[in-house]
Amino acid sequence: MTMAIDDTKFFAWLDGELDGAEATEVAAAVAADPRLARMAEQHRGFGTRLRETFDTVAAAPVPERLRDAVKPAGAEIIDFGSRRARRIWAPLPQWAAIAAALVVGILAGPTLIGDRGSSAVELRGGAMVAAAKLDGALDHQLASAGEVGGVRIGVTFRDPAGAVCRSFTDQRSSGLACRDGEDWRLKGLFAAPAGQAGDYRMAAGADPNLAALIDATIAGDAFDAAQEKAARDRGWR
Amino acid sequence: MTPPQSATAQPFEDELTALLPRLRRFAHGLSRSPADADDLTQMTIERALRARAQWQPGTRLDSWLYTIMRNQWIDTVRSRGRRDKVEAPPEEAETLGHDPRPGIEAAFDLQRVMAAMEQLPDEQREIVALILIEGFGYREAAELLGLPIGTVSSRLVRGRTALLRLLGE
Repeated sequence: MTMAIDDTKFFAWLDGELDGAEATEVAAAVAADPRLARMAEQHRGFGTRLRETFDTVAAAPVPERLRDAVKPAGAEIIDFGSRRARRIWAPLPQWAAIAAALVVGILAGPTLIGDRGSSAVELRGGAMVAAAKLDGALDHQLASAGEVGGVRIGVTFRDPAGAVCRSFTDQRSSGLACRDGEDWRLKGLFAAPAGQAGDYRMAAGADPNLAALIDATIAGDAFDAAQEKAARDRGWR
Repeated sequence: MTPPQSATAQPFEDELTALLPRLRRFAHGLSRSPADADDLTQMTIERALRARAQWQPGTRLDSWLYTIMRNQWIDTVRSRGRRDKVEAPPEEAETLGHDPRPGIEAAFDLQRVMAAMEQLPDEQREIVALILIEGFGYREAAELLGLPIGTVSSRLVRGRTALLRLLGE
């Protein structure tokens, strides 16, 4: 395509995204160039037909099974989980969450927290984020890997805002962290019951508090192995 | 008769129900078949209901739901689509035109456009669907997808140009 204006600008104009001098500039170029004028006409017509085609979907009756899916009966069951989880965790202010984490730190001893100056959790901008080996495990380790360097990954899923969250555990603590920019922000950290080191896929199974937190955070289903790997390959975006 | 519901639950469900036609339209823009589109819509509804406590009243419910649908599509439908892309087309061809719902005259066109959309790379298809079909502005689409506006506009150019060619216009 040869034209005096680049095509992103041409289409931005066509879509009404330009104003002022820029819009005038493109309009003049289109008026002066029959090829551009033809292209504008072609894409305008195409856009209209495309919208009209899909508008038939919006105009059609919504299938009953979808209307039924909105029924409150299902929502009440789900809400119960959220309310239960909120009672446990959400009302706690930030300082309480941090204090809870410190308690875990004392209980857990030299595991995830306070491991010879290479703490797995650090405070950054008032939030707890994963660091060192925990950060590395959340970044790279798949659940199928089992225990690596003392850390085991549980479930991976998205929260309602679309952030990827992952549960994790080591021998003496477990928790949930969600992606926040380049960090893993801790949503909760719990001391694990003594003596649990079984081979389980759901780290949540070990601790009812963690299970409740996951329940309150998850939107949709947990990732399967392929989805987990695909998410890692996308950099957890 | 519907059972009595709490006063706070009602508006969310009413608004969600009112948005179902638009959600289905967006799902058809993303999916390769009407059946997949309605599965995607159902999964989005379920995800939204489970996460309803996270929606802030006063903010746009439609954008929130579109975001959930787009993420659901990425997580489930798209990965499934990749896995069974090879064996899927013959089955699709058989179901063409068998939709008994009203609007069947338009269904063939829709199938043809959906088949063409299916050939676009995913990152172009979602932008074509949001902007050309759903009518979002460039900035709104960029915010919804978490992308720079320049990326959105260049993908839109590639997507719409390819789609026009595929549909032989």
